[in-house]
Amino acid sequence: MDRLIDGALFEKIVKGGAENLYVNKGIVNDLNVFPIPDGDTGDNMYMTIDAGATAPSDGRSDLGSVSARIAHGMLLGARGNSGVILSRIFAGIAAGLTDLDGADVNTFAGALQKGSEEAYNAVSVPVEGTILTVFRDAVSYAGSRINENTDLNGYFTDLITELRNSLARTPDLLDVLKEAGVVDSGGAGLVYIVEGMKHVIDGGEVTHAGEETVSRAKQINVDTFTEDSVLEFGYCTEFLMRLQRSKTDIDKFDINAFTELVKSMGDSVVSFLDGSIVKVHVHTMHPGEVLNECQKYGEFLTLKIENMMLQHNETVIENRFEINKEKVRKKFGVVTVASGKGLKETFESLGADAVVDGGQSMNPSSGDFIAAFETVNADTILVFPNNGNVILAAMQAADMYDKADVRVIPTKTVGEGYSALSMLDTDGRSADEAEAEAEEYAQGAVTGFVSRAARTTEMDGVSVVDGDYIGYSDDVVYSDSPDKCVAAEVLCERLDAGGCDVILLFVGENASAEEAQRVYDAISEKYKDVEIIMRDGGQPLHDFILVLE
Amino acid sequence: MLVIFADTDSDLTPDKAKEFGYHLISMPYSYDGKTIYPYEDFDVFESKKFYNMLRDGVIPTTSAISKEKYIEYFEPFFKNGDDIMYVHLSEAMTMTIGNMRAAVNELKEKYPERKFYAVDTKGITIESLSIVYEIGDLYKAGKTAEEILKWAEEEVDRYSVYFFADDLKFFKRSGRVSGFSAAMGTLIGVRPIIYINAAGKMVSIGKERGKKNALDRLMKYVEEKGDDVTAHRILIAHSDDEEDAHELERMVREKYGDDARIEIVVANPTAGSHCGPNCLGISFHSIKRD
Repeated sequence: MDRLIDGALFEKIVKGGAENLYVNKGIVNDLNVFPIPDGDTGDNMYMTIDAGATAPSDGRSDLGSVSARIAHGMLLGARGNSGVILSRIFAGIAAGLTDLDGADVNTFAGALQKGSEEAYNAVSVPVEGTILTVFRDAVSYAGSRINENTDLNGYFTDLITELRNSLARTPDLLDVLKEAGVVDSGGAGLVYIVEGMKHVIDGGEVTHAGEETVSRAKQINVDTFTEDSVLEFGYCTEFLMRLQRSKTDIDKFDINAFTELVKSMGDSVVSFLDGSIVKVHVHTMHPGEVLNECQKYGEFLTLKIENMMLQHNETVIENRFEINKEKVRKKFGVVTVASGKGLKETFESLGADAVVDGGQSMNPSSGDFIAAFETVNADTILVFPNNGNVILAAMQAADMYDKADVRVIPTKTVGEGYSALSMLDTDGRSADEAEAEAEEYAQGAVTGFVSRAARTTEMDGVSVVDGDYIGYSDDVVYSDSPDKCVAAEVLCERLDAGGCDVILLFVGENASAEEAQRVYDAISEKYKDVEIIMRDGGQPLHDFILVLE
Repeated sequence: MLVIFADTDSDLTPDKAKEFGYHLISMPYSYDGKTIYPYEDFDVFESKKFYNMLRDGVIPTTSAISKEKYIEYFEPFFKNGDDIMYVHLSEAMTMTIGNMRAAVNELKEKYPERKFYAVDTKGITIESLSIVYEIGDLYKAGKTAEEILKWAEEEVDRYSVYFFADDLKFFKRSGRVSGFSAAMGTLIGVRPIIYINAAGKMVSIGKERGKKNALDRLMKYVEEKGDDVTAHRILIAHSDDEEDAHELERMVREKYGDDARIEIVVANPTAGSHCGPNCLGISFHSIKRD
């Protein structure tokens, strides 16, 4: 056997995994079962592993401590179901490496085995054909092939072989994948992570400096850069750019010369080339100049520019939570999740103590939930995740938080959350009673969505046409029309809107006032006995959300 | 002789006051730095305009009237040798009645022979108005103060009001309803049901989803708690929700027939400042309030 994995190498391979997923997360995002562009598995997994890769060092460098620190960072940063499972894999791995300075292949394989078991424990009903299966198969296969000659490189080669094979089998295990013609996105994300790890084991460099990546999860307080502030630190500028044949000879492109060019305009430069994609990270006082110069070689794929004065003031933001904390401890507090100004305001005015930003297109992390819990001064906190892909992160946060009794009401839609919260009375109730009542009220609402379809397919007997609008509820497609209003009206009909007491129509940011009025008028005319209420939800992605109670 | 007073918090209008012989005490509300005394600062309550202003985000405040103001109302009659009966809003809801007592104590030193009677209706708007009307009838029929007080002792608790509210931000701000839990604010499509108990306080007793269910719930209380309903006035009050007021009237008629004496009134602006627009309530003769 050759070298051991020690703390430093483990940290480096995690960074390598994060790096490779970062480059490929767009591919993972596109592995989307539902024909609307809500796929964010790649983003979720990347933000989760990045939270581990960038967890600040506590000075201890032994393998046990490093893996525990990384796992803790990931547990906090976990968002989305795949992200939560990923964080639990690493938590299991860390448990298997406790107190070790280093690990040989056998010990490391044992830790991965623990990671797989822990991941299965993370979900109440494990579904085969997902990241769970892919990881378990790979750990089992690679473990069975270990002999006295197996080195780390060989072990990771076996892992990747079976990760890819198992991933290819996921559509056989899960019908929704087969119907959508995709493999499991979480499993795919895992493949990129492990491939990135192997790249490091093979001697490759981690070029994407993880600690300099600003996670979207961080709170930016724009008030910390005022009319009178002086720009001292410049802008953290990051982009991915694809080299263009029309602009440069891609085969002869000299990344070192390019890096020197960027360095002439800023510092903290990290850049690397992957195929025809250049990734650049630079701190500069003049991001415009950098962009102009770089654009001479290609076109941008993604771009992020942040004023670093805002980042440097994060401690100030942390303290704001203290001020916000209500002085009197209440018996019950409410934390809910919504995206869109109107929807958030609706929940706030309904009495939610904290509304975590997110939902379909951006899943909040466990850490986001914990930050929200911190602002609520209550004995019991009721949490309404309002999205099937957010529930696990909320539950993980509830497990990790010990300053209040946190109860997650597993609401899968804003409609369920709204229904539960609006009907709930916590007065005189115990935590158990309030939780049970909230869960019951959540059943009282059906939520229908109208969104633009992102591909042509056949679902639930409805022909979905790319670019059309589809009406769906509980992942079943009920209508398709080039006209979003028609899609909404047919959806109402299919959901038996005439039989309910109230219909709430939340208008999304992509729907115009005229379109909203058309839907409102049509369903008001059709369902005269139903109270129909229209609100500007401002939500992204869904042109209309219909809550039928 | 005996003169009778009521206040505008009971929804009593000047015309109706005249009909029974009531003198009207005006209960003020304020917004934008202006204080307005109903039927003193205006002749006709423009309810639509007022409640639309609330819908647009104005939340008026209300204030107790002062001891001096009560003295202004009462003193001319004591001076003239009259006795006074004041049928007032629930003491449990306001500081005003304390000021009223202070005024009366001061006046009694000056006019020791004069008599003052207070009847606490233990309610506001139509809950008060039911009792104001009944006492008005007795007064017109020539009953003595003692007879009226005896009636009130028995009957005040036998008028019930149940109503639903629309936007709880008005109630929450005034803090005048108990039973509202932490997570309650602006509800959409869900209406809390409120009643006024025997102590004269508003209590939240549940919620209904959808207007139809809320109307049915009010009707259910009339049927369950009602006692000799058709022999007494049935009052429906709304804060600019006339359509539903008429729907409720229709439902009552369907149940009790044309004998039912139903009157629809608009909630006065001072009470409306606390309940907000789109509330609907019904007052009826009932078994004793809890």
